[in-house]
Amino acid sequence: MNKWYDEIKEAQSVDTLEEIRLAVFGKKGVLAQEFAKMKTAPNEEKSKIAQELNTHKSSLMNEFTARKITLQTLELQEAMKAEDIDVSMFSTTSQSGALHPVMETMDRIVEYFSSMNFAVKTGSMIEDDFHNFEALNLPKYHPARDMQDTFYFKDEMLLRTHTSPVQIRTMMNNKPPIRMIAPGAVFRRDYDITHTPMFHQIEGLLVDEMGKVSFANLKFILEDFLKYMFGDVDVRFRPSFFPFTEPSAEVDISCVFCSGKGCRVCSKTGWLEVLGCGIVDPNVFEAVKYEDVSGYAFGLGVERFAMLIHQIGDLRSLFEGDIKLLEQFQ
Amino acid sequence: MIVTKSWLQEWIDLSGISTEDLAKTLNTIGLEVEAISSYDVPKKIIFGRVVECEKHPDADKLNVCKVDIGSSIRQIVCGASNVREGIDVVVATIGAVMPGGMEIKPVQLRGVDSEGMICSAKEIGLSDCQDGIMEIDSSIGKYKLGDEVSSNPVFSDDIIEIELTANRGDCLSIRGVARDLSAAYDRPLKEKTITDKDDKRVGIGRILTLTHENDLNVNLRYKAVDLKNLTLPFVIKLRLAQIEDKRDTDIDAIMLYATHSSGVILRAYNYDFFREGDDALAKISLSEDKNGYASIMSKEKASTIGIIQEDISRITYNEGTILIEASYIPPEIISRKMLDCKIESGPMYYRTSRGSEPELNQGLNFCLDMIGGNSESAIFGGNIELCDNCEDKVITITKKEIDDIIGAVITKVKITKLLKNLGFDMRKSSADNFVITVPRFRHDISHKQDIVEEIVRLIGIDNIPSKAFVFEEDNRLGSDYEAYKKRSDYRHKAVYSGFFESIHFVFDEKKTLEKYGFETIGEDLDVLNPIVKTLDTLRPTLLTGLLKAASNNSKNGYTSIKLFEVGSLFSPLREESVKMSFLFSGDREKESLSNSGKPTKVDFAYFAQKISDVIGEFELSELTTAHKLSHIYQSAKVIINGESVGEMFRVHPSVEDDYDLDVTYMCELDFEKLPYGLKVASKTSKYQASFKDLSLIMPQSMSYESVKNVITSANVDNLVRFYAVDKYVDESLAENMSLSIRFVLQSDTKTLEEEDITSAMETILESLKGELGIGLR
Repeated sequence: MNKWYDEIKEAQSVDTLEEIRLAVFGKKGVLAQEFAKMKTAPNEEKSKIAQELNTHKSSLMNEFTARKITLQTLELQEAMKAEDIDVSMFSTTSQSGALHPVMETMDRIVEYFSSMNFAVKTGSMIEDDFHNFEALNLPKYHPARDMQDTFYFKDEMLLRTHTSPVQIRTMMNNKPPIRMIAPGAVFRRDYDITHTPMFHQIEGLLVDEMGKVSFANLKFILEDFLKYMFGDVDVRFRPSFFPFTEPSAEVDISCVFCSGKGCRVCSKTGWLEVLGCGIVDPNVFEAVKYEDVSGYAFGLGVERFAMLIHQIGDLRSLFEGDIKLLEQFQ
Repeated sequence: MIVTKSWLQEWIDLSGISTEDLAKTLNTIGLEVEAISSYDVPKKIIFGRVVECEKHPDADKLNVCKVDIGSSIRQIVCGASNVREGIDVVVATIGAVMPGGMEIKPVQLRGVDSEGMICSAKEIGLSDCQDGIMEIDSSIGKYKLGDEVSSNPVFSDDIIEIELTANRGDCLSIRGVARDLSAAYDRPLKEKTITDKDDKRVGIGRILTLTHENDLNVNLRYKAVDLKNLTLPFVIKLRLAQIEDKRDTDIDAIMLYATHSSGVILRAYNYDFFREGDDALAKISLSEDKNGYASIMSKEKASTIGIIQEDISRITYNEGTILIEASYIPPEIISRKMLDCKIESGPMYYRTSRGSEPELNQGLNFCLDMIGGNSESAIFGGNIELCDNCEDKVITITKKEIDDIIGAVITKVKITKLLKNLGFDMRKSSADNFVITVPRFRHDISHKQDIVEEIVRLIGIDNIPSKAFVFEEDNRLGSDYEAYKKRSDYRHKAVYSGFFESIHFVFDEKKTLEKYGFETIGEDLDVLNPIVKTLDTLRPTLLTGLLKAASNNSKNGYTSIKLFEVGSLFSPLREESVKMSFLFSGDREKESLSNSGKPTKVDFAYFAQKISDVIGEFELSELTTAHKLSHIYQSAKVIINGESVGEMFRVHPSVEDDYDLDVTYMCELDFEKLPYGLKVASKTSKYQASFKDLSLIMPQSMSYESVKNVITSANVDNLVRFYAVDKYVDESLAENMSLSIRFVLQSDTKTLEEEDITSAMETILESLKGELGIGLR
């Protein structure tokens, strides 16, 4: 009987163990035979033999169960080992697409101003001289028209050179107060390393009662906005000139490439020009027949923002559906 | 506008102010500094004087010079054609390291010892201002022989390039910039003291008359000079080179220099041009030319005011009588005129259209002083002038208005001081009101806000504290925002579906578009001034842009190209609409272990599935596209909720060839028509659905659409949906094919039993047999 303890302990597979189980516990197994012998044993010994056999039975069963678990675990491990793969081979890249960095930047800007309670307004790309120029204090003879070389159509319509006509139309169709941004594509007749004939702008406008809107208000929102977009940068305002605002300013941020120390991108100045803004010129309000109001306006180029934020070097590559560039934004 | 520090010094004391600080101030007051460059003349380059000059015995083009360099006399061989005895020069002495890196050493030139080099401007790193070597004179200020050149302010100058905004014509001169700086630094503007050289007793009236027609809004002032022995001072040569301009004659160079210094438009005329025969009296008349421009006339036109001088009236002689004219024409008049009738203009028009200096004496006197100081000329007494009496602009503004616009409180004293320094007259101001007379040179000031701008730029915007705007709450999520959101949501879905977003110009090439059968914008509505031939019209489709992009990516080695664009395009009548278009070319995905490096190519079913992932459920029906980009047997109309929203097709194999593309599918959808908004959930059955497949034998030419229509119109009870799952063709079927359709049946009230399903299938089969003559396999 004792040899079976060793047999169980030494069994090397679940199959062998099963054979042992049949040999010990089966109908014709050792235990059955021993219990059968009991019939012929003297009566007074019967209970002792039975007790002994039952002890063996339960001990062997314990041994068997323990050994079975061990062997099953080992066999599962073997089976899993056979399924071994080199996971490092499966390092992979995304198969998804990506948003265009310019559009994604535009989304972020819209998101900021929407949360600041600015309405989003859009308009037609084809405009007339009044909405694109005249109403914005850019009479035909104004030298500042040179700054915006314009695409014209044969019937004297034109492609908008900025999204300001959307502001003019919004003012003409609504009463103040106005609080809006106008995102969209704009067009200038310029094509070189740093200019494309089409690019994207977002312009903002706020109009309220006379005396209510100040330059200090404009400064506040633009400083906050630029820190939202670029992180912890210094913001500087320089007086400038736009026909539709007075006073006007250009806004610089400390160079994001060299932290303001001076590099190639910022032409060693430490500053990058990113925005134009100002207090709305009274001639603009006159053109839309607004009286006793004050307001501020600002405008920015989305491509420039995208290029600075994502450190993209080549402007033209943005308009070529170039997967080399786009897949970096997956 | 280019200024230099030493040049500015002639009009304002800048002592103690570094160039860096100067640039910062210019930026702060709105004169944007575009670039700064410095002259940095190396050490051991000194002033000298040529005391002897003889031909080199063995070289025609060389001269052997004895040069006094203060401490000693050096022998230097010089090849410049203008070297001669008596002139002062710049000498690089032994040990000097030139800007190019060359060190000056004693050498022998064709056997003659040479201890140094007489320098040209370029050789010491200056602007190229004179052919040959520099001839120095007292115009650079006091110097001694032997002094280091770098110690002279004209030679150690900083050149500042200012990008002027279009409104600041008053800063198109050194004096104008100095005037702005004088307000910024609160230092006085140095006005020139003019030496009186009117020593010739003859008055100008004896030799010149001026007549004019009607009022042409022009100011003119003439002086006459008997020119003799004029030499152009070195400093003028150098500075004209610094501003990258030059003139052919010395007198024109002086006019240019005086204009750049003072801002006044100046011209010098040939006196004889205005004389007839031997008549001693020259006659100038101001009248309109054939285009209506104010012009100076004699027998012929001498010049157009504010625009151009005719060559025929220029001075070609060095001695004799000349006329000098200072002129002013208001910028709005000249630029309005230019709008009516464009004529050839030049750099002069750039100044006059932005506003030249109206104070004519400033320029005229400056220029006469230059001529007087550098020649033995005599100036005729008096002047002849024509004055346009223009009224001064007066602006009234209250302190509160100023404070409100700025958003900060500025003291009255400060405002008064700033404006006075800028030349504004404040004498009429009262306790409550500023009454401000605008100086004539400030063409840009006409509104209250212009006055505020002056204050803002001089106190510095960075010194205005930021302040949040307080406003009333309002819902600003309008329909445009909704449209923006829809666009954004669809773009995101396209990205998750594997497509890259691209943007292209709304311009396209008419020739290409027509080749592929697109209708382009009508001739009379098209772009007037396209920037290049390949972008000569507005696009009627996004498809061509995507194809071009795909082609470039294919050339870059990409085998799986998935692109989309949401953008505007234009109908032949030039109406703008927005479409969303997709392109899928080549492999379904990148090569990877999961596809054993052999990804399957995209096919119609896969492409349609990808589009459906973006836009949701749709139906397709056969279509012949209007354009020629499509494979005629693989084109479909995309239908959502019974409405056509666009087209989907395989690209025509020959177009694939044109663009070097693998198998390519495209889709263009009318963005307006794509569904958007909140979904409504419908009631779902709690009973199990049953599935049943039928394999139909039907002619290969029969469209699935007709089968679909028959089944739909049979109105079968409990039929929820059905769809094709397998198509099979083999020889035994000949012209026929086997099409398996899966039917999904479900009831809201019970679990369907076998007989319900059988009866539904029978209804379907009867309809198909009856209407199309097809049945089970």
